Parts: sequence; C-alpha cells; structure tokens
Amino acid sequence: MAAAKRQRSAKRTKMINNTIVHVVLAILAMIWVFPILWVVLTSFRAEKGSYVSTFLPQSYTIANYARLFSDTTILNFPRMFANTLFIAICSCILSTFYVLSVSYCLSRLRFKLRKPYMNMAMILGLFPGFMSMVAVYFILKALGLSEGGLIRLALILCYSGGAGLGFQIAKGFFDTIPLAIDEAALIDGCTRWQIFTRITLPLSKPVIVYTVLTSFIGPWVDFIFAKVICRANADYYTVAIGLWRMLEKEYIDSWYTCFAAGAVLISIPIAILFMFLQRYYVDGMSGAVKG
Amino acid sequence: MTAMMGLLALSGCGSSGSSQAQVGGVQNVRLMVWAPSEDQSKDSGQWLQKCCEAFAEQHPEYNIHFVYGVADEATAATQVAQDPEASADVFMFANDNLTVLTDAKAAAKFGGIYEEQIMSTNSQTVTDSVRADGYLYGVPFTTNTWYMYYDKSVFSEEDVKNLDTMLEKGVVSFPFTNSWYLPSFYVGNGCTLFEDGTVEEAGVDFAGEKAEVVTDYLIDLMNHPNFVVDADGSGIAGLRDGSIHAMFTGSWDAASIKEILGENMGVTSLPTYTLNGEEKQMMAYAGSKAIGVNATSDHMVAAVQLAVYLGSAEAQKLHYDLRNVVPCNTELLQDPSISSDMLVMAQNDTFDRTSILQPFVSAMANCWTPVENMGKGIRNKTVTHENSKEQTQAMNDAMNSNGIS
Repeated sequence: MAAAKRQRSAKRTKMINNTIVHVVLAILAMIWVFPILWVVLTSFRAEKGSYVSTFLPQSYTIANYARLFSDTTILNFPRMFANTLFIAICSCILSTFYVLSVSYCLSRLRFKLRKPYMNMAMILGLFPGFMSMVAVYFILKALGLSEGGLIRLALILCYSGGAGLGFQIAKGFFDTIPLAIDEAALIDGCTRWQIFTRITLPLSKPVIVYTVLTSFIGPWVDFIFAKVICRANADYYTVAIGLWRMLEKEYIDSWYTCFAAGAVLISIPIAILFMFLQRYYVDGMSGAVKG
Repeated sequence: MTAMMGLLALSGCGSSGSSQAQVGGVQNVRLMVWAPSEDQSKDSGQWLQKCCEAFAEQHPEYNIHFVYGVADEATAATQVAQDPEASADVFMFANDNLTVLTDAKAAAKFGGIYEEQIMSTNSQTVTDSVRADGYLYGVPFTTNTWYMYYDKSVFSEEDVKNLDTMLEKGVVSFPFTNSWYLPSFYVGNGCTLFEDGTVEEAGVDFAGEKAEVVTDYLIDLMNHPNFVVDADGSGIAGLRDGSIHAMFTGSWDAASIKEILGENMGVTSLPTYTLNGEEKQMMAYAGSKAIGVNATSDHMVAAVQLAVYLGSAEAQKLHYDLRNVVPCNTELLQDPSISSDMLVMAQNDTFDRTSILQPFVSAMANCWTPVENMGKGIRNKTVTHENSKEQTQAMNDAMNSNGIS
C-alpha cells in the first residue's frame, strides 16, 4: 500500500517535471521559430510595403513568388538563383574533395611538413577570410577573371581555394578509424589512393555529409566576396546581392514582400540537402566508427 | 560574326592600355557605361541603350562598342574609386560622393567647350553641386532632394504652407530620426554648415540660442498628438492604411504614393514652421545626380562627349518621358509639358527655394550621427526641455569633432 503510494507520487513528480520541461521547451521553440514564421508569413503577404501595423497579414497571395520569376527586367531573380546554385555546387564538390584529401593525408601519412602545415593552418584560421579580400580581388583582376563569364570561375576559386585549411574535423574523424584496417589493405596490395577511396571513404559517410553541407552553405549564403568581385556585372549577381538590392530605398517599398519570398526560396535547397543527409549527419556528430 | 570577333579582340587590347586602332579615319572605341538597372531594363524603355545608340549615330568618326554595367548613383562613385582602371568610362553618381571620387583622383575634369556647354544649360546652384576646388566634375542630369507629399482631401493648398497648421488638420509623419531630414529645422532658423557649405575650416554652427529654441520646438512637435515619426517605412505604410495624411520623402517614392493616393496626391516644397510666433522656412539638404567620366579612361574625348550627351536636354527629356526623372536642364524646364508636372514643380521649387546645397566637404561625415542621436533622444524622451540647452551644445560639439582629435 505504502509502496504503491510512493510509486504513484514518484510518477506524479516525474510527470510534473516533464510538463515543466516541455512547457519551457515549447516556449523556447516558439521564440526560435518566430522570426522564420514571420518571414514565411511576410512572403505570402498581399499588402505592399516594408512596414505593416499588424503581425499577421490581412490577406494572403502567392503573387510575391510569381513576381520573383516573372518580373525579371530590373532584378533577375531566376538568373541569380541559377548563378548561385551553379557556383555553390561547383564549390561544394571542389571543397569537399580538398578537405577530405588533406584530412586523409594529415591523418594517415607522415611527412616533414605535417606538423608545420597544421600549425600554419591553425594560425591562418585565426584571421577572418575577408582580410585578404582586396588582395584576392586584385589577383583575380590580374588574371583577367574579374570580367564577364569568368566571374563565376573567380567566385568558385574564392570559395573553394582555402578549403584545405579546414581539415580539422574530418582529420579528427579519420584518426578514429583503426590504422590496422589500412595496414591490412596495404598488405593485400592496395595503393594509398585505393585505401582512401575503397576503405576510408565508405567508413566516413557522416563526415563526408558534414563536409558537403558546410561547403555548400558557405558559397550559397556569401554576400561580401560576391559583391566585391561582381561589381557592376549584374548578369553574374548571386542571390545574396539580389536580396540586398531589393532593400535599397528605390525598391524596398515594392519589393519587400518579394524579398521575403526570395529568402524562403533560398532556404529550400539547403533544407532539401539537410533532410536528405540528416540521418548520416547525426551519426557524424557522435563520432566513432563501429565494428 | 567576324566583325564582332574583331571588336572583341580590339576591346581586349583596349582595356590593357594604349591601342587606339584607326581604320580609315574611323576610331575604334570601347566605352563601358554604368547606370542603374531601371535605365537599362526593357520595361522602362532602355533609356541608356537608346541614348548611347543615338550618340553613336551622331558620331560617325567613332566605331563604338558599348559595354553596359549596373551601378546605381548612390554606389557608383565608391565602386569607381575602389578600382578606377576596372571601372566604367562613363558612370552616374550622386554629388554627395564627389569627394570620394576626387580623393581617389578617379573623376575627369570638364573644361573648355564642354564646361561652357554644361554651364549654359544648368543653373549656377546645380553646377556648383558638382564642383570641387573650382573644377567641374560631372554633367548634372537631375536634382536630388526631399519634399512633402500630402493628401489633398485632408489639407488645402493654404494649409500646406505651414507645418503647425497642418498638424491641426491631419496627421503628419516626418523622418525624425534620420539626419538627412532633421537638420532642416535647424538650418531654417539660421544654423549653418561650413558657412555656405564649402569652407571646411568654418565648421558647423548648430549652437547658441538659435539652435536651442529649435530643439525645444522639436520636443513639443514630438509630443503633438498628430505627429508621427516615420522610420523603417512606417510613413508610407501609414499613408496606405489612411492613418497618416502627409509625409516627407523624395522622388523615389512618388510612384508608390501616386498608387496610394491617386487623384488626391499633392506634392509641394517644404512648409514653414512656427517658432515662438515667427514663421521659419524648413530647409532641406539638396544635391544632384550627375554623369561622371573616369579619369583613367582610354578614350577620354569620346567618354566626355558621351557624358555631355547623356546630360543634354534631349537625353533628359527622354529620361523624363521614360522614367519620370525630373530634369534640371534650364531650357527643358521652360517646356510647358514638363513645367506643369506637379512633381517637377515641387522638386525644383524645393531645390531653388527651400533647400541648401548639401555640403560635401570631408568634415560633413561627422555631422550625421550627432543629429540622428538628437532625433532619437527627443523621441525617447531623454532630451527634455530641462536639458535641451546642454544637449544642443553637445550635438554641436560632436558635429565639429571627428571623435579622434
């Protein structure tokens, strides 16, 4: 009798605790989701203008999305979207390759410059990338990459060129794969490249996913390099520049809701990529190799 | 196709330096032109392309290959100054950026017949706005300032002459926390910036009793039930939902306001305000937008000629017809079809009568934040009648200091 009572009160305490925790979490989640919800609502808002006196739109429309793709004479959103997608995909492939290769070398090979390279990478990583922006611009100009269609190439180079310095997480992951596997493969006659592609990479899905995600998001959302390198070449603008231009004083009143629609649209590729790769991603953060 | 290849090859050399190929007396010229995207879009009539083609027809001595780029007037000067060699030969800039260009030695000076031509078709004030150290740096094509839009069903033409009268009849919105607008009250009561705007050593005079009474007036204005601060687009939103009946802005909002108010849209130069029983005229900052030429251009003569053409009466007329850009050419303003336009009238009246030329001396850079802070202070009620004297003095001190020395 007494034991049952104690059990019930323990159950009740647990329930109360759970309720409190969930209420707190729900409130935090609401606070966190609120701005996103607001952007989504604004993107469907039928009233024009940047400022409205109500939180919820008075009427809804999808015209903002339609306009992004139909009204292309002043701000050509579809072309900006295509530019950004192309640049981001190319940079993503290149960066991922660089990061994984560098990480593999630093994790598995032993050579004289290994330590100095890692130290250098760490020190360079302490400086913001924008510091080199002016130099990067003039180098690209000297190479003739700052005009016309080559701007895309210039941006891809910018975004992927420094990727080899961001090896830390992938190297850490490779370090957890037992060296014995590599040795066994070596004895069986594998080359280093074969070990990398046939053994290490299949065991490293989580970290590949992580690298792909980060190296896609970087160029996808970057504003400052794109702005410095594109200058007046409107044909090669990326989405970030386009969205920024929609908020200039000449455009803000008529383009504000379209800006919100654009913001929602650019989150879609990232969301798709993330959802598709999520199951590996969670494993990636937990770190270890099983079996 | 082969001709195009030839042009491309030539332009490739042109950008690297000195080639000025002469083919049978016709000079091959590559001109890069930057203008805002509206000037180039099909929907608004491709003003830039039309003008450039017309210019090419008038000059058979050149075989011109135009390269168009997008840079609006507000940012073009900075872009050109960053890297003149890789920038447009001809570009459009707002005159408040003139020192950015001259500091970088990026803008070409107009002289001789070109200067005469520009001077003869523009008012002195307009050309002064693109003049630095006695040299002319651009061809003005429009004025750039702000004025008042109002709802004709609420205010009569008599009402809009005085701000305080307006406040009794309807709700007025003003960008109180924006330092491009707020100084209009101080300047109206005799405060000066760099004497006539050009003497940097003279500094800013926003001090003494003439400024203090304005601060006191502004505190009362803020507390007026019919006064609303316009910030982050709340003014135009208020006009849209009917809660506001007058607002202060420039030509860039004209189309939106026309759409909201329709036939009831009124637009006029700035009103006066009543300061201790006396009528004082509000004075806006005014500037101009002009066409500049890159000092490093390989084809200087052609570039200068194109700039002069883009600022000519013919091009301004087309600009007005296609995009409602208010012209400033004195001959064109005589044209009854243009001078009867309410917006043109208001903008030019503001420029001529109720504005001062916005100073573009370097020290002007120190004048924006202190005034903005004053506006915010009054809005947040940290500036009150009790401390208005010290706060005004503090604003004046800050405007006269670069914060370092």
